[in-house]
Amino acid sequence: MDILRVEGLTKCYPSFTLDHVSFAVPQGAVMGFIGRNGAGKSTTLKSILGMVHPDEGHVFFQERDTADDERYMKENIGVVPGGMTFYPKKKLRTVTEVTRRFYPNWDEAKYQHYCKVFLLDEEKRVDQLSDGMRVKYLIALALSHGATLLIMDEPTSGLDPVSRDELTGLFRSIVADGTRSILFSTHITSDLEKCASHIAFIKEGALLYSGTVEDFRHAFADRGNTMEDIIVSVERRDWNEGTII
Amino acid sequence: MKALLYKQFCLACHPMAVVFCFFGVMLLIPNYPYTVVFFYVTLGIFFTFMNQREQRDLFYMSLLPVRKRDAVKVSAVFMAIIELASLVIAVPFAMLSARLNPLGGNAVGLDANAALFAAGLLLYTVFNAVFLPAFYRSGYKVGVSYLKAVIPVTLVILLCEALPHFPALLWLNDTSTEGNVRQLPLLAAALVIYAASMPLIYRRAAKYYEKVDL
Repeated sequence: MDILRVEGLTKCYPSFTLDHVSFAVPQGAVMGFIGRNGAGKSTTLKSILGMVHPDEGHVFFQERDTADDERYMKENIGVVPGGMTFYPKKKLRTVTEVTRRFYPNWDEAKYQHYCKVFLLDEEKRVDQLSDGMRVKYLIALALSHGATLLIMDEPTSGLDPVSRDELTGLFRSIVADGTRSILFSTHITSDLEKCASHIAFIKEGALLYSGTVEDFRHAFADRGNTMEDIIVSVERRDWNEGTII
Repeated sequence: MKALLYKQFCLACHPMAVVFCFFGVMLLIPNYPYTVVFFYVTLGIFFTFMNQREQRDLFYMSLLPVRKRDAVKVSAVFMAIIELASLVIAVPFAMLSARLNPLGGNAVGLDANAALFAAGLLLYTVFNAVFLPAFYRSGYKVGVSYLKAVIPVTLVILLCEALPHFPALLWLNDTSTEGNVRQLPLLAAALVIYAASMPLIYRRAAKYYEKVDL
């Protein structure tokens, strides 16, 4: 069963078009949403979350059209935006105290458990956390209200290799029991190698591929052996002698 | 709405918005343009919206399980709470002011009486009608929205302060019990206008915000 299904998502800007993007996130999958900077990853995720109004297309969460029932989706997902930039001067305790009130399924015992295992100090301000700890904090919030899908926008960007490795390991643990799924955008191919079971590959606003990692390797076997080789080969733009004048 | 209001006061509200609610104490200053007291309250609301923008409150709310228009609704309710609280808090100071200056005679303009509170409600209505829709057209232009609102608000202040200088409208400055009773219909009318306008203002602002891409 697909937990999230995106159908024909289209958004036109003067200088960029998200062009009929369609893909599905199966239950229990970690789907890496990959593409270079400006490819349309964040626009797609924002459209899924209702932050951007698509010109066309539909998003189905657990087979319910989010246009009709956005609240249901948001009650059952966790979102990790690119760098947690809201309320940086507030303590985690304060942000949690406010956030938990929006979720009827909030489980305080779970939250305390995740604070302990992720070594989160609730007395710290949001801006006192490292980027990796901010992602963990948002994951703790999501898991504490029973989110079945985590949508993350470049959660590993700017992190050191050890923290990235730790987070990708955490992603695998989150989906291990098959009840939760993850959709995360990234441009770091090594993260995909470590934890993704599925891939959606976007280039210049159009989806080039969506499916399992294994099928992706087969489909682009002529482009390279590693995921990085494939993506660089597809995305690469060569400069010519007229570039620099 | 309860959770949203908790969020509004716990995370978004600028401390000065609460402090300005107590500026009703300025009604004790002799010969002062008392409508300025309400202007300070609008400044507190402006600070809160600026704080919300800097803290990316709309972005935070867009991740929560609430409808987009609820973000506008909580702002409208917050403004109404702050504005009405400022009026209620000002009442005892107005009564004290009337006792300290039984002859009234504010040389600047309106005295601390029922007509002043009617002017306050009118001023708030104009401010809300311009500021809230202007802000939610973009979701981030706080300064421009405030500037747009302050111009008509200043005109209302000037008008209200000028009215008691006309001999036929001297009764607007009456602080006696009889004078206040005579001014009560004005206060009631202003209250009706304020209460009736808030849902319309909210709907207009929500309509604009629905179209905004974050």
